[in-house]
Amino acid sequence: MKMNRVTSWMFLLAAVSMVTLPVHALAKEYKLGLSLAITGPTSDAGNPYSKGVEDYFQFVNDTKMLGEDTINCTIRDDQYNNDITKRNFEDFLDQGIVFYLNYSTGSTLALKKDFEEEKMPVIPASFHAGNLVDSNYIFLPIASYSAQAIGLAEYVVKNHKEGTPKVAMFIHPSAFGRGPVEDLQKAVGAGLKMEIVEVVEHGKDLDNTAMLQRLVSKGVQYVISQTVQSPVATMLKDASSLGLVAKSFGEAGKITFLGCHYTGGNDLVALAGPAAESFYWTTSYIVTNEPSPGATAQLDLAKKYNRDEKAANSHNYANGMMVAQVATEVIKRCKAKGKEVTKENLYEELQAMNGDKAFSPGTTVGPVTYSKTDHAGVDSLQLYIVKGGVFKSTGTPFVPEYTKKI
Amino acid sequence: MSANRWLATGNYFTSYREEQRIFFTSLDRTAMGLLLAVLFAWPFFLELDNKYMLVIDNILVAVIAVMGLNLVTGFAGLISIGHAAFVGIGAYTVASFSRMLGENHLLLSHGWPVMIILAGCMGAVFGALVGLPALRLKHLYLAIATLSFQMIFQWTINFMNFFNQGQTISVTRVTWVTGQVSRSQHYMFWYYALLVVIVLCGFGVRNLLRTRYGRCLVAVRDNDRAADAMGMHPGFTKVYAFALAGFLAGVAGALHAYLYRGVGVESFTLHHSISYLAMAIVGGLGTLHGSFWGPLAIKLLDLQVEQLSEWVGAHVTAATNLATALRPLSFGLVIVLFLMFEPRGIANWWRIARSYVKLWPFRY
Repeated sequence: MKMNRVTSWMFLLAAVSMVTLPVHALAKEYKLGLSLAITGPTSDAGNPYSKGVEDYFQFVNDTKMLGEDTINCTIRDDQYNNDITKRNFEDFLDQGIVFYLNYSTGSTLALKKDFEEEKMPVIPASFHAGNLVDSNYIFLPIASYSAQAIGLAEYVVKNHKEGTPKVAMFIHPSAFGRGPVEDLQKAVGAGLKMEIVEVVEHGKDLDNTAMLQRLVSKGVQYVISQTVQSPVATMLKDASSLGLVAKSFGEAGKITFLGCHYTGGNDLVALAGPAAESFYWTTSYIVTNEPSPGATAQLDLAKKYNRDEKAANSHNYANGMMVAQVATEVIKRCKAKGKEVTKENLYEELQAMNGDKAFSPGTTVGPVTYSKTDHAGVDSLQLYIVKGGVFKSTGTPFVPEYTKKI
Repeated sequence: MSANRWLATGNYFTSYREEQRIFFTSLDRTAMGLLLAVLFAWPFFLELDNKYMLVIDNILVAVIAVMGLNLVTGFAGLISIGHAAFVGIGAYTVASFSRMLGENHLLLSHGWPVMIILAGCMGAVFGALVGLPALRLKHLYLAIATLSFQMIFQWTINFMNFFNQGQTISVTRVTWVTGQVSRSQHYMFWYYALLVVIVLCGFGVRNLLRTRYGRCLVAVRDNDRAADAMGMHPGFTKVYAFALAGFLAGVAGALHAYLYRGVGVESFTLHHSISYLAMAIVGGLGTLHGSFWGPLAIKLLDLQVEQLSEWVGAHVTAATNLATALRPLSFGLVIVLFLMFEPRGIANWWRIARSYVKLWPFRY
């Protein structure tokens, strides 16, 4: 009798295995890699970014978005150190990844040759236009920093009253910060009617009073920033103390502050406090304090995976979520065509993402489009302004005109 | 010395010549031969992922750099906290040729041994120049002078267009007798190249210390006035100590450039200079094998702390800032602990272990 029971259990187990095993045997796992600064410099952006990527891929697997197939994205902390990024990338290659997500401008430029040799499609968190020079495999998620700075400059020119606007640039002392300077100068050369009075490369200054006074003495009316939030917050607080922040756009005798993607977001408001009021910011991402299907999806995702309010509302969470959405979409398209999910096929699918095949992730203000000649994803930008301590959109999404003229 | 050099249980020198031998006993020579054989042969029996090969290669590059630092700081007693800048000089020598001649120029791809020596020479020139203040300055003041060189180096690279403003300058793959070194062979190839360079440099430094020039370094470190009175030239000795350190650092820099196939200023910052100094202290200042132990210990510690902080950052969100601080914290702690409890570094543990084995079974 006892023997019979054991035999019955074994039969049952065998039957269950026969039903489930073929499904699991056919199920595939697609390996991806992400190396970024979860700790160390810029981790304030990298941390929510990694959560966005992690949560979205978890969501894909949990909801069986790819059927029985799953995505296994290994996320590694590189502490903003290129040598560690290189090591992580080698590790991912050993694991057999089909798609790679990178982070900083420095490491993207440093590994560019490796991406070419490996023919590895890559989406970095850096929107530096220089990433695309002599590169076939790097795809920017949204408009480049150059396009963002030009977009802000075009807004200044269109809305400035009386004469030629005098502009200063406040930039990070690296390739990341310097990237848009030359392109903006080219736009001015191509007919954008503004004067770039000074380009300030900030250091680790804790006080910008002297710099601001110098800009005022030179008649600067607008400052376009291309850096991270903390130096902008320092500058805004000092400008506020000096009574230099324009309360309305282009207010005479005051300075209107504007910035590209990584200068803004909730962290800037948290750092600068009331001094962030009337700061103009551009990005291609939606913000969660304005209702939209994308914002709802972002907040729901963060809630599902128990993320705190700060991460849930971060534009860098949206940023990470969006690149994961794009990677998932190309895998889906590859599968739908019956093609094997390889880095070569994913690369082809990315380049075919245009026209009626453009992808709308919802987390951005426009569709993601790539082609053989266009490796910048979302071309549209949205302008936001801080009102009452939150970023509010102003106007409709736009595409900078002078990016095509330079 | 015992008549039988296999059975020697102590150092019984009867002449200065015996004391200057590279290997004191036949056992030493055999052990070194076996070690080298193992180092050259293990890749034939054990296949490691590229990730780990990169870690090993990185340690070997640091060994060469620390060997140079040990010459100037350990043997000559001249504090240098700008050593990463000398390594950077070597790397940027390769990068400059890459910019001027084109990335795939034959000199860079086929003449890479020449480029490595050239980078070393450039490091030596800058070393000698930076060493000039050592004629007038000592101790903390000299440290500040080398620090200023580090700052000047970083500033120059960061702002000059020729150096791509610190952004990565690509370096080509090299060609060997079997053709261009492919991606799959890259890290193994450089492992062997680094090993050969280390053996050459190691024997070079060991030999230097047997010569009057080497003894001058130690004499100047111990008392430069006494050395002067004995007929040595302290000024010349200090300058060539810096030049030699610069040469080895330059070689390490060129190897780093070829290994990573690119040169960016981020790899040669003040943080790296302090790391090299830490490696020299932890390994054992003024010892040749301390230059091997230090990089090995610090790089492996770095790797472990990196994994720990990654784990903390990923699992304990509230402790992200703590995770960020773990690396510098552990790094600083290790240096302080070594300075307090083992100022002679790991090399001293090695010395104790060796003397124990040598005297076995006649322990005292």
